[in-house]
Amino acid sequence: MNQEPPETTTPGQERNPTMVSVKDVSKTYAGAGATEALRNVSIEVREGEFLVILGPSGAGKSTLMRCINRLVEPTSGSIIVDGREVTSRRRELRAVRRQVGMVFQQFNLVKRLSVLMNVLSGRLAYHTLWRSLIYSFNKEDKRIAIECLARVNMEHKTFQRADTLSGGEQQRVAIARALAQQPKVILADEPVASLDPKIARQVLTYLKQIAGELGITVLCNLHQVEYAREYAERVVGLSRGAVVFDGPSGKLTDDILQQIYYRDSEAGDDDDV
Amino acid sequence: MLVERKKWRLHHIVYLAAGIGFLAWCADGTNLRPTELASGIPKIAKYFALMVPPKWSFAEIVWKPAIETVYIAVWGNVLASLIGLPLGVLAARNITRLASVRFVAKSTLNLLRSISELIWAIFFVAAVGLGPFPGAVALGMNYAGILGRLYAEAMENIDPGPVEALQATGAGRIQVILFAIFPQVLPQFVTYMLYWFEVGVRSATVLGMVGAGGIGFELVTTIKLFEFRETAVILLVIFGMVTIIDYASTLIRSRIY
Repeated sequence: MNQEPPETTTPGQERNPTMVSVKDVSKTYAGAGATEALRNVSIEVREGEFLVILGPSGAGKSTLMRCINRLVEPTSGSIIVDGREVTSRRRELRAVRRQVGMVFQQFNLVKRLSVLMNVLSGRLAYHTLWRSLIYSFNKEDKRIAIECLARVNMEHKTFQRADTLSGGEQQRVAIARALAQQPKVILADEPVASLDPKIARQVLTYLKQIAGELGITVLCNLHQVEYAREYAERVVGLSRGAVVFDGPSGKLTDDILQQIYYRDSEAGDDDDV
Repeated sequence: MLVERKKWRLHHIVYLAAGIGFLAWCADGTNLRPTELASGIPKIAKYFALMVPPKWSFAEIVWKPAIETVYIAVWGNVLASLIGLPLGVLAARNITRLASVRFVAKSTLNLLRSISELIWAIFFVAAVGLGPFPGAVALGMNYAGILGRLYAEAMENIDPGPVEALQATGAGRIQVILFAIFPQVLPQFVTYMLYWFEVGVRSATVLGMVGAGGIGFELVTTIKLFEFRETAVILLVIFGMVTIIDYASTLIRSRIY
């Protein structure tokens, strides 16, 4: 792995400090047709920022996110989260992952468990194994869990089983689970791709509020340009594993969109999930 | 709507011929003689005729070993799960990354499974003496191999999404197993446990033949002494137990979903 020394000199800027720093990250999936999923991607994300990573499916958005919390091991490059280099050393990795919540396209709740239990799962990294063996959580954990559910207006379903909820409700519970980690960063990987537009906007609004009100850095993968325009302050355009745009969403011109979607699909097209 | 039918091709005919050939080969090996079986039916009928009327008073004597059979099945299955579950976790591809560990776990399960409970019972009777205890351990060994494999397969077929989600929270390996994997497979685990408990009760009825407790000892003794009216009572008791367990497990399974 590439051992880049961490930044010692922070440029004197009035803006919030950098929370996530991705530096020259590349990822090549080994195998028959060795595919280059990421090519020298570098992104700096500030504290409390709501960043949309935009690109068609297969652009490497998911891989980039999974490199940040090491669900995927990058081939080269370095990633720093809150001043700490992300490594694959187990103990340190768990400490970083605790700071980084994740929200998925398919919600990934444990369907047979209650809403509360799913949200409490977000607290596991704060617990010893012995406590987990008897499925026990303390009062403070439960208070945090309910508070997180209230933030996404789901506290009235606390004791329902997750599989009784609609898709939008499940995603809100999944957001509460990520919040229960009390993270500094939330990675949302296509969080609205399985939801209809009305519910999608609701979920995106919650995510944006989380960034604005709690100061949590939110990285959100999207493939729909309209949502990016509507919600993002800043957009990073990813195409074939490389950053082709990094700027305010207002500057997303048709030219740039064509570059992101490499001309073989219409801009604003949201058919491929 | 018309569904297009698949056409017979040469390789289909070859497979079919090979299948029939295999069955014929096995039939030869097992000395299948349907005519002799048919002509032997009256003899079997004679055995059953000797069973009526069942000597109901014998029930007073056999209820104790009958209950003992259930004890053996209960503890045999508890042991089986205690041994089988950890081995199943170690054998599951999506949980245990190291192929060498999986191989050892799988081989152990295969070994436990390939030795039948009757053979295990002979070993344990030799080791700890006659009685239901060696029977329970014997059942536990064989069923650990069976349940461990079933548990491993159930865990391999779960939705990987929640597992990834909990890994992402920073939860440890065992925490992920407890909170993302076990809840998903619990209904299947319960189904397997109940089914193999029922099978265990039936198995435990023969363990007595080698002195490992249960109703099997009485069963074999009555047959050897040509006390078929007593045999009838034992068979009815076994039938009754299995029926009750079947109803009970259906009830429990309908509650866990």
